[in-house]
Amino acid sequence: MRKKILSSSKISNKNQDITAKLKVLLAENNPIKAKALMSILSNAEYDIYHIAHSGVPLLRDVEQLNPDVIIIDIESPNRDMLENLNQISQFAPKPIIVFSEQQNTHTTINQMVKSGVSAYVVGEVNQTRVKSIIDVAIARFEVFQGLKRELADTKQKLSSQKNIDKAKRWLMETKQLSEIDAYHFIRKIAMDNSQKMDDVAKNILSVASIF
Amino acid sequence: MFTIEKKNITLGFMPLTDSAPVVIAYEMDFFQKWGLNVNLTKQNSWSTLKDKLHTGVIDAAQMLAPMPIASNLGLYGKKSTVISPIILSRNGNGITLSTNLYQKILSQHHSNEISMPFTAKILRPEIEQRKKSGDKLTFAVVFPYSCHYYQLIEWLKESEIKLTDINLLIVPPSDMVPAMHSGDLDGFCVGSPWNAKAVREGVGITGVTSSDLWQDCPEKVLGLMSDWQKQHPQTTLALVSALYEACQWLENIPNRFEAARLLSRAKYLDTHIDVIAPSLLGSCLTINNSAPRKMPTYQQFSSLDDPKFNTPAHHYGENIAELMQACGHINTQQRAGLNIASIYREDIYQAVINTLKPNKP
Repeated sequence: MRKKILSSSKISNKNQDITAKLKVLLAENNPIKAKALMSILSNAEYDIYHIAHSGVPLLRDVEQLNPDVIIIDIESPNRDMLENLNQISQFAPKPIIVFSEQQNTHTTINQMVKSGVSAYVVGEVNQTRVKSIIDVAIARFEVFQGLKRELADTKQKLSSQKNIDKAKRWLMETKQLSEIDAYHFIRKIAMDNSQKMDDVAKNILSVASIF
Repeated sequence: MFTIEKKNITLGFMPLTDSAPVVIAYEMDFFQKWGLNVNLTKQNSWSTLKDKLHTGVIDAAQMLAPMPIASNLGLYGKKSTVISPIILSRNGNGITLSTNLYQKILSQHHSNEISMPFTAKILRPEIEQRKKSGDKLTFAVVFPYSCHYYQLIEWLKESEIKLTDINLLIVPPSDMVPAMHSGDLDGFCVGSPWNAKAVREGVGITGVTSSDLWQDCPEKVLGLMSDWQKQHPQTTLALVSALYEACQWLENIPNRFEAARLLSRAKYLDTHIDVIAPSLLGSCLTINNSAPRKMPTYQQFSSLDDPKFNTPAHHYGENIAELMQACGHINTQQRAGLNIASIYREDIYQAVINTLKPNKP
């Protein structure tokens, strides 16, 4: 993707340690709404970047800025794009905070949050609330990502087990080994070469596929 | 007539050509005829549309056919029992390549034109060439759990191109054509009117449609929460009846042109009729200022002689689930746990047909 110079306005408190601060990206095309939100966010302990882009230029900004959290309007057409960053291989998923000006939906905030968005802000927001909302959103997101990673690890373990079992079976059939000997055979190669048993099993299976 | 439990209904839709059934049911008073006072609310993203449906902010929604399945599995948030009692449209998608990429392909193939529908094989020389410099072609779709996504993947797979061979982005529909102008996108798979818009602006070439790839694939469905349907069984039947009649109304070609006019209004697609009408009239714009491809099935809403056309048959759901599994959206366990018949509700649709056409088998 072509790189362009990031066009964003930034509010930061120079006296604070930059590395300790969270990067918050506000993606909002409407200048009035953006200004209102910026003024709420400005005194909090964050670096706020406002970006008025949409579509691919916004995506590029996200890639370049690598924010810790993204704030968007619930009615933004960019929501599908930003919430599916992890569908796109080179992007890491980000916690998204969705805000809505409409008060009539406030009874559903909790349900909205449960239904997937990291946090859901309705109507008027004060500065102290914003801080806790951002903190909670990031914490929730990390828990969710942790669960996803655990699931991926479990899948990985299951598939390694499958590889080892297959390799064992092949050894039993072609080398007339007992199951326990086949297992020891794989483990010995793994230890001798300081490899994972899964990798050894995969090598055995790739050799097996030649015959 | 049905005993309506809830007269005032809020129905969410996305501004696309195939929102025609909901727009027509409203504009031609089919909702009113069935005793409903429907408030159509235009949505800006599929994520927000599904959140509003899941939480009851809207009563019903026009959804992408895979979405009720994704909702039931909790693929984008909390598991939510969404059901679909009617298919609202079939086909309607197309794959468009940027004019720049197309020109390059022509010179790579020493040719003046490539016959359509084209296969993804034509991309291979460019993919190979870019690989050498660590670069990839960039494609986009509007939502992961969509037929667009699965159709693009299948199209590439047929020519032995893996998803990892390209960059794939999720981009809002209205940003697709600008991204092609800026050179950020080499291609996209989207619904109408965005393919036609790219062609009219001379920035894209539409070479394949979903009718070429997977004939009669369900594209948009009506989505309701299962609990909502249980609380409002008669209202559901009235809603499905009105939408069924709107789909039937859309079978007539002169009516299709009227639909195009209505859809172009600011409160719906807010786009010029030039790009909305072609697909509705069975015409696929391919290259700017060239003859379009005749494609009677490009945009299908109904069939006058087949009341089963709009049935949310479970085998369609199974097909979609298979594609979801093939691209890794769901695993074997999730697939095994799916009860499609409880999501794609043929029984509700059949009850409507029995009322509308009591003499037909």
